[in-house]
Amino acid sequence: MEADVMFQLKNIQKFFPIRTGLFSRVTAHVRAVDKVSLTIRRGETMGLVGESGCGKSTLGRTMLHLLSPTSGESLYKNRDVFSLSTQELRKLRRELQFIFQDPYSSLNPRLNVSEIVGEALSVHGLAHGRERDERVKEILSVCGLAPQHAKRYPHEFSGGQRQRIGIARTLVLNPEFVVADEPIASLDVSIQAQIVNLMEELKDQFGLTYLFISHDLSMVKYISDHVAVMYLGKIAELSSTAALYKDPQHPYTIALMSAIPSIDVDAQKKRIVLQGDVPSPSHPPSGCYFHPRCPYTMERCRIEEPKLRDIGGGHLAACHLVQQGGGRL
Amino acid sequence: MGVNELLQVTNLSSSFQTEDGLVRAVRDVSFHISHGESLGIVGESGCGKSVTCLSVMRLMEQNGRIEADSMRFEGRDLLSLRERQMQKIRGNEMAMIFQEPMTSFNPVFTIGFQLQEAIRLHQGLNKKAARNASIDMLKQVGIPRPEKINDEYPHALSGGMRQRAMIAMAISCRPKLIFADEPTTALDVTIQAQILELMQKLQQEIHTAVVFISHDLGVIAEMSERVMVMYAGRIVEIAGRRNLFKDPKHPYTIGLIRSKPDMEIESPVLTPIPGTVPNPLHTPPGCPYHPRCEHVMDICRSTLPELISHEQMHQVRCWLYDQQGAVHGS
Repeated sequence: MEADVMFQLKNIQKFFPIRTGLFSRVTAHVRAVDKVSLTIRRGETMGLVGESGCGKSTLGRTMLHLLSPTSGESLYKNRDVFSLSTQELRKLRRELQFIFQDPYSSLNPRLNVSEIVGEALSVHGLAHGRERDERVKEILSVCGLAPQHAKRYPHEFSGGQRQRIGIARTLVLNPEFVVADEPIASLDVSIQAQIVNLMEELKDQFGLTYLFISHDLSMVKYISDHVAVMYLGKIAELSSTAALYKDPQHPYTIALMSAIPSIDVDAQKKRIVLQGDVPSPSHPPSGCYFHPRCPYTMERCRIEEPKLRDIGGGHLAACHLVQQGGGRL
Repeated sequence: MGVNELLQVTNLSSSFQTEDGLVRAVRDVSFHISHGESLGIVGESGCGKSVTCLSVMRLMEQNGRIEADSMRFEGRDLLSLRERQMQKIRGNEMAMIFQEPMTSFNPVFTIGFQLQEAIRLHQGLNKKAARNASIDMLKQVGIPRPEKINDEYPHALSGGMRQRAMIAMAISCRPKLIFADEPTTALDVTIQAQILELMQKLQQEIHTAVVFISHDLGVIAEMSERVMVMYAGRIVEIAGRRNLFKDPKHPYTIGLIRSKPDMEIESPVLTPIPGTVPNPLHTPPGCPYHPRCEHVMDICRSTLPELISHEQMHQVRCWLYDQQGAVHGS
């Protein structure tokens, strides 16, 4: 394993049982994450994009063992997060942090800001009393909040400021790796850029590594070094950001990108409108999961599941049509 | 006012009495829309874009108050109409598409029942003819197996399908004007693309005027011929699509464009707008945008600028541009 690898995910699966009937028998499974392998290097931002229900949030939670996995390995600095004891895992939690989407429901309304941010320090036994207050004050100012905010309660803040509190709570522990799950989705447009820029600054300042989960492809393009595109619990395409956006290979990625409305009124864009809805992850289609909506479906796609293959230069795509070196058959 | 005007709103102000005080959600808003035209209203949460439309349709809550110099729809003054007369217009000549189709359908009635209700009420069709008309509508909005979906309850449909059914309901009486309030915000991008394509197709087919409300500049750019930007209850800029996106004038419009990366346009840095959207209970004096504006001058803090014509069809509310369109102090 290379030295600069921070996280290596191997064949992670997370299925949720569907229970029905009088005895709550398990009749089916929602295959939320299905054999995902991913490598995240130190200091990079890995973008994870996809539509609702594609399993991107479940993957983010499972890899940190916030959800127990069905199978697979999640190697953090060569240690499998899934096989650690509760105590070992708790110790590791300081290094592995999470930023949640909804700044309204992820902050305890009964605690003031200094308690919310300081709680983590107490839990991990990192600082107490005056030292704790100092650390809290320091991190609040780093996150663009004023010292007088420390004694206020979450309801007194706007969405953007709440997200700053959430980020401060995460960073006060001085983590190594942060999963940011749709951190800007519930914010106004003019505020989104503030939070993204703050995350970028903090990344440089604290040497962080991010997994940035979002449905917003244009924001992911802006913030990420590598991007993984998920569809129905699987990775459809994975590449460096530059290569992915310049030359997307998987038909799903191409359609997803063409679907984003642009303000460039002169752009003569060819829009690919996918037909139908995303299938249910409890009854995924046969073969390639994307075949019922794919404009290029062949017979083979209905039967055989395509493997995620390197088509050159670390650009991976899971499609029968994509050839070595890019381009379609 | 041109001959072709469908709706002309002059100095509309809407306010709500709340426990914390009077919220002036819309202030002195004037705009017009012609037959078959598409007008976009863009702005952030609380800017008054939705309340503007609800006011025109007179769908305000009990604690809401609408004042306007006039609100003319095809020559009729909407403000002076009785509620009964208004009911004949609503859903018939004017319709609305809401953001969340799950909460705007009644969960205990079938899709078909709710569609037929409007058709029977406004077009006086009998039960059987209304059923056929509703199935026809569902077919027109691209719903597969319309006969079956007609008898389904709203919960059985996916988000995209529900929004299609919502559109079917809105167009069922061939309205002259549709207000679409964030119709794709709750949907995934690939489903959003389907809905936008459908709306463009239908607008051409039935020649309806559409007021398209969104916080997403990209969606507005694709769906509207003219664009109106709102901030803190007021119009800050109105222009044709091309002018607005290629040559934005108001610092807020420029700020919005700069703060969002675009797939087609390379942006090496994002420039956020500092500060936050003002609390509607305490709107700043003078120009409401002044605390966040990078070009703020003394006059901005005390006096509200007028909405003035910068060029033909391009109006802006900012002290940087005077009557001749020359830039102050630069």
